[in-house]
Amino acid sequence: MSNPKDKVIKTKNHLDYIPTIGIECHVQLKTRTKLFSGADNDAKEAPPNTLINHIDLGLPGALPVLNKEAVVLAIKAAKALNTRASNFSKFDRKHYFYPDLPMGYQISQFDEPIILGGHVRFFDPTSKEFKIINITRAHLESDAGKNIHPDKKNYSLVDLNRAGTPLLEIVSEPELHSAAEARLYAEKLYLLMRYAEVTEGNLYYGNMRFDVNVSISKDNTLGTRAEIKNLNSFRSIERAVNYEITRQTKLLNSNQKIIQETRGFNDQQGTTYSLRSKENADDYRYMPEPDVPPIILENDFIDKVEKEIPKLPDYYTDRLRKLDIDEVSSYILLDYELEEGKGVLEYVLGLPESDAKAIVNWIINIESPIVLNNPNISSELLKKIHNIYLSLRAITKEGLINSNSIKELIKKLFQEKNIPEDLKQYISKLGLFQNSDSDELDQLVSKVIKENQKAFNDLKSGQQKAIGFLIGEVMKESGGNANPGMVKTLIEKKL
Amino acid sequence: MSQILTKDDVLKVAKLARIEISSQELEDYLKELSEIIEYVKQLEKVDTSNLKPTNQVTGLSNVYRNDQVLDYGYTPGDLLDSLNKIEDSYVKVKRVIE
Repeated sequence: MSNPKDKVIKTKNHLDYIPTIGIECHVQLKTRTKLFSGADNDAKEAPPNTLINHIDLGLPGALPVLNKEAVVLAIKAAKALNTRASNFSKFDRKHYFYPDLPMGYQISQFDEPIILGGHVRFFDPTSKEFKIINITRAHLESDAGKNIHPDKKNYSLVDLNRAGTPLLEIVSEPELHSAAEARLYAEKLYLLMRYAEVTEGNLYYGNMRFDVNVSISKDNTLGTRAEIKNLNSFRSIERAVNYEITRQTKLLNSNQKIIQETRGFNDQQGTTYSLRSKENADDYRYMPEPDVPPIILENDFIDKVEKEIPKLPDYYTDRLRKLDIDEVSSYILLDYELEEGKGVLEYVLGLPESDAKAIVNWIINIESPIVLNNPNISSELLKKIHNIYLSLRAITKEGLINSNSIKELIKKLFQEKNIPEDLKQYISKLGLFQNSDSDELDQLVSKVIKENQKAFNDLKSGQQKAIGFLIGEVMKESGGNANPGMVKTLIEKKL
Repeated sequence: MSQILTKDDVLKVAKLARIEISSQELEDYLKELSEIIEYVKQLEKVDTSNLKPTNQVTGLSNVYRNDQVLDYGYTPGDLLDSLNKIEDSYVKVKRVIE
């Protein structure tokens, strides 16, 4: 566990504050239909009010009927959160009046949610340690519609396509202590929900929306918190938390009080601003939902659903670590697998230990930028290129090609329709083999020194930095394929 | 008889329900709501310490629907027709933010 004292912010007045952050995340579940009605759930591109239905509109006499798939997905989410779905849970009505909520209440779960407890573990690259953040609870609820407010008009417009969409609201304990930690938690939660196939996880369409509670305090008691609503990217979480910590620090340092309130985030300016004052919890007038009978989950059923869950992120990171792949690289691979690199994880796990790390570097630094920028690259081509990485490794191990040229080579391979059978011939044709001809290199070195006398003199006078510059110039002169180790030796000989 | 509720209670309930009430209505509701609560208060005489709350009376559980789009026999347009004001397929309401 992280020690909050490590995260103390130093301020000008030498007052030390510890930020404390808790995150509520609304995960849109990947169902075809809504939580309580058979209306289509895919509101991404649908014209306004085309996915509406008498149940989600709250018309008199409408009877909500629970979507079984939402329960199945909640069971999977529970497993991903390192816990198990409750055997008993029930629904409650949460009342408030707003035009995007035609029923006048949201069907949610109050005191007996489908998930209690659990935790999320993530790796913090700054402290190089794992952190475990506990989950308070997660409950099923229906989403509201969307209000829009046309400029300079005295009315608002409502699109109810999203009304009734199933959400799982995941509530963390207030155990995060920096903006960076908040972001890492959210990123890991995203990976967990994607790998458990609970959500499509499209952040652009708000498939995961974050409410972040931030407070600061000088000791271990919690300060007054502000809740920043509706953040929909990891970056905005980090920025909003940072802004809020600074704002609250300034207030306390000038002896002002922090008001408990709901705030919005202005993405352009990177600032938070006050929204309506938060109604007290009991103002929601929760009551048991009489129209939806409780969910009773038998252990056999939970077991059956848990068996359907694909491999989760920690399965991969644990195995990648054995191949000497660090957590940061693992997370990049996990992301890449979800975007365009399907199959990459199993591929890497099948690599010999002696080659995995080097090939993962190629994948992360060379391959994935190419593939992510060219959605036309076929999975067949990707597979074929993966199949020759081991041969390429053998060629690099022989010292026949340098890292510069490998980059060039892999780029070229992605432009080929057919992967060449004879790799060595192909490399030779491209002129990418490493030049280790000492006479040729010596000539290049002499030429570069002549043209860069100043740098050479600097090196002579002991400025070691200059050698890097000179090696770089020789590499350029050679078209990128000089053997850098030999170049270095040759330059040093001339001193 | 002293009222069980205060005027503030009634105003709060009205505010939560987004209902505007006149001063006469405030007096009326204060009296009526207090009487209702007084009446329901009789239940407090019953010892319920060993009882679980009754949230459901049907005894049902797990009433599920399969995750398939259903045809309810009307179009979204039919529903919109039944609503008050529509603009470009949006429901038009009193402005809710400044």
